[in-house]
Amino acid sequence: MIKYIVLALVFGVAAGYSNNNFGNFFANSLVSDYLFNFSLILLLFVMGFSFGVDKEATVKLKRAGLKILVVPFAVGLGSILGGLVGGLILGINVFASMAVSAGFGWYTLAGPLVGQLFGAEFGALGLTVNFLRELLTITTISLTVRIDKYVPIAFGGATTMDTTLPVIVRYCGSEALITAFSSGFALSLTAPFAITAIATLFH
Amino acid sequence: MLNLLAFAFPLIAGILLGYFLRDKKRINLGRITFGTILALIFSLGFSIGSSNELLSAMPKVGLNAAVILALTLLFSVVFLKTVKKMVKMK
Repeated sequence: MIKYIVLALVFGVAAGYSNNNFGNFFANSLVSDYLFNFSLILLLFVMGFSFGVDKEATVKLKRAGLKILVVPFAVGLGSILGGLVGGLILGINVFASMAVSAGFGWYTLAGPLVGQLFGAEFGALGLTVNFLRELLTITTISLTVRIDKYVPIAFGGATTMDTTLPVIVRYCGSEALITAFSSGFALSLTAPFAITAIATLFH
Repeated sequence: MLNLLAFAFPLIAGILLGYFLRDKKRINLGRITFGTILALIFSLGFSIGSSNELLSAMPKVGLNAAVILALTLLFSVVFLKTVKKMVKMK
């Protein structure tokens, strides 16, 4: 299954690149907005449906209860600390590297926001790190899930409420749906505030 | 914020509908789901491929990005594993 996903990704990149650089055959937004949102909404509905139907999944979730709220907390804190250590090792502005990591994989937010607060160079870093985080979550899932079914959720960060959610549910099972979605939701809510707060500490 | 809620709505609607139709005849959603995942990943790839900004940024920040990303992922996983143990989550 992962090979079809990687193929779809590669074809998507090639198609997007061609449409942009070898003549615009159609508006980019047709795919990157309309097809994206349509398939995402349909998937969320279908995944919700499969979860609602699955008796075991609801029982498992009830057993975990409020404990699932620690997931985004741990992932968020771990990410920012990772950014701090990375910045120290590389000898770059540690506030900027923490802000980059506080994008939690949301590259369309982290790129522009970090760029605005720390300059274009760090904006490029924010864009790349967070984009690669999303990409790695998807492409390595068949390996990371073997370590622990929560590892893909940690990898995905804020993206586990949308782009990486279907792949996570496919590999980690229906019971991971709510944990992954709520973690991604909480991290998506936090990301803009976390980046801005880190920048305020710096300035 | 509104965008985030827009994603929660279809999910909750799906869960409720699935819950109420629990004992009805099952339809196999596997194929639809898989096809839609491919469409989603394709459009994700498309946004990446059509973003000149992203493609030009990547090579410039290569090493720094790799180091920060590796540590970000490592610490996320370590923290999650530690906290999971602390709250005894399965």
